[in-house]
Amino acid sequence: MALSTHTTSTGWDSVLKACNKVNEHILGFLLPSIHSAPPFFTQQPNPATEAIVIEQWTKLILSYARHRNLFYLRVEDAETGGDWDEVLRNDRINRRLPPAHLSSILAGMVAKNVASYEPAKQTRSVLLYWRLPEEWAEVLHQWASTTGQMNTIMTFYEITDPPVNSPLTNIPLPLLRKAITILAKSNRAQIIAIADGEGVRFFTPAK
Amino acid sequence: MSLKRFSQSIDGTIPIQALLYDDEELLGSQDNVGIYDGQQKSPRHQSGTAYITSHRLFYVDGPKPDSCSFSIDLSHVSRTDYYAGLFTSSPKVTLYLAGDVSSESNDEHAPSIWECQVCGNHNSPGFSPSAARICGLCGVPRDAADDSTEGSSAPHLSSSLPASGFAGPVQRSSKDPVPCPACTFLNHPSLRTCELCETDLPRRPSRRELQSAPVSRPHSPDNDEEGDPANMLIKVSFRKGGDKAIYGALKTSLNGKVWESKAATVDRGGGNRSVGISGILRTVENSVQERETSMHDALQDLEALMVKAKDMVNLAAELNYKLTAASSTNDEPEEATFIRSSLTQLGLHIDNAPVTQDMTKDERRWHEELARELAKVLQAGLMRDKGIVALDEVWGGWNRARGVALIPPATFLQVIPLLPQYTTPQVSTRKFVSGLTVLHTPPYSASAFSARLAGFLVMHGSRTTLEIALEMELDMEGSNEAGMSVSLCKEMVEDCEREGGVCRDDVGQCAIVGGGGVGVEVRWWPNLFVGYVWDGQSEEDD
Repeated sequence: MALSTHTTSTGWDSVLKACNKVNEHILGFLLPSIHSAPPFFTQQPNPATEAIVIEQWTKLILSYARHRNLFYLRVEDAETGGDWDEVLRNDRINRRLPPAHLSSILAGMVAKNVASYEPAKQTRSVLLYWRLPEEWAEVLHQWASTTGQMNTIMTFYEITDPPVNSPLTNIPLPLLRKAITILAKSNRAQIIAIADGEGVRFFTPAK
Repeated sequence: MSLKRFSQSIDGTIPIQALLYDDEELLGSQDNVGIYDGQQKSPRHQSGTAYITSHRLFYVDGPKPDSCSFSIDLSHVSRTDYYAGLFTSSPKVTLYLAGDVSSESNDEHAPSIWECQVCGNHNSPGFSPSAARICGLCGVPRDAADDSTEGSSAPHLSSSLPASGFAGPVQRSSKDPVPCPACTFLNHPSLRTCELCETDLPRRPSRRELQSAPVSRPHSPDNDEEGDPANMLIKVSFRKGGDKAIYGALKTSLNGKVWESKAATVDRGGGNRSVGISGILRTVENSVQERETSMHDALQDLEALMVKAKDMVNLAAELNYKLTAASSTNDEPEEATFIRSSLTQLGLHIDNAPVTQDMTKDERRWHEELARELAKVLQAGLMRDKGIVALDEVWGGWNRARGVALIPPATFLQVIPLLPQYTTPQVSTRKFVSGLTVLHTPPYSASAFSARLAGFLVMHGSRTTLEIALEMELDMEGSNEAGMSVSLCKEMVEDCEREGGVCRDDVGQCAIVGGGGVGVEVRWWPNLFVGYVWDGQSEEDD
């Protein structure tokens, strides 16, 4: 292992940091140094250690999802190539996150309420909350008011696929519906049944 | 037909040794045999194993051992024939069967404990039918006891019964038809159920009646075949050879006639010995004496072993003494060093005689003395170049050093807690999660080892368990300790992991190339996660 031979009194993590700086320029996402430590990919039998591992993975997954605007993570992503390869694998140190470990990380994330199983009643796929539904509600209302969509009826499609890219582009419908429900509770939006499905009308909050 | 009449089905799934009588002996076996019933192949017995014993021929079927296996008493065999085989025809052994298998003799095969009516001895099952007919203690035949209580004539009994093992069935083979209680059909005597209506037939009448009953020709059609000697045979066909050996065994068995001679011996014995209470007493006395003798022999062996061990220890002590005397005058020669180290390795290095309980009266002092002795043994040999040693190894080594005055495990365990008081550096006990208990010096205590391991890993990078076992002790400054065993090391490292000192990299599970689960070893790392601060993409970067 090249890693250990290069390591001297300066410690291994400075080397890893240097590697990551290079990485950052190529891929545009700065991976944490821990991502280059092989034990990070192993499910640690010690519960205290594993808690830290899950915490760090949660952080890594959410920040990567935010960076790439990804909403879903599936256990299968650990096996098949795709959007998540960059974090779930590290070819330089020949390590990958085993599906079983990913599954337990997902469970940890759902427990911490930074993700939810979507669809419900299964544990293979989660919807990631790199913004909480409450935060999405704010973003949505902000966007509606800045683009002058108050008091008009909009279809969900107009929100998820607007002509001009917005923070809400490609937002999954379950998440959008959650955000609208939160707005509806404070009387800032209303779900309306229209001819081809559902629509929403935004209101300016009463001052 | 003859097969059905003479054979008894057995459960072939039971190993053949378990089916033998106590006095029966297995003489030979051959697989890949087929059975002919008369001149015809018997379709259910075409591939199996034949066993010849001193009493019986067993056939254990290959495909269906539980339903198609059978045994035949060799006492029914009147003569045998051997056919060497020709071209595609396999070698065969023909057994001509004679005699009658009455239902009565079948019953006697059922093993059961029976109580002798004369002396009250409980006879165990498992003897061959001929032997089982006679009480093992007083030698009175079983039938005789039954009959005499019924009040039958004595002279008749004494002449016929002791030899009943073989003669009995022949004598009883009178062709007396049995009338069916339901339809009155006269059935062949060997049948148990009526041929016409399948009603259970009554048990055969007693022998005395038989003799007086008129002998008439039986009415069962079955009887016609029975009279035909050509059909009263079975053949064993040897498909894959081995015929000669089996035929030899069969001949031996038939010539030996163990089933007959046993009965005869008992009979003769009955004539010679004094019958009655004194005879019984003598039998009991003999068996007690026999048991005593064998027990004495066994103990003598043990004593001899102890004497030898004592000699060995004495020799070791003497050698040691001489070496010490020699080395005080001049430099110790190379041979002397070698002998000394060999003695130590054998665990025979002990300065004076082992402490035994009779030296000290108080139990507590006795344990203290033992602890002192054990400490010496440990520091001289077992732990001289090892910091950690498993408890079983200590116990074995100590007892080897003690020679004959062995320490039982219970005492050993009582001595262990006293050990730290008598050792420098202190030797303490440590029990792993797996249950393995070890004795160790301070550098091997849980906390000290964790710290040393973490330091070692930080210095040298990740290591497998094997590498840790081999390299870690070499790394210690000024240490002359040999590496520890891999399994011990594994226990220690895993213990360290439980405390969060190290973390693992499961290469087999997580490698992209060269993974594949089993066989790839876990690599150990210092616990990188404790105190780790996120240094990846920050939210502000977006």
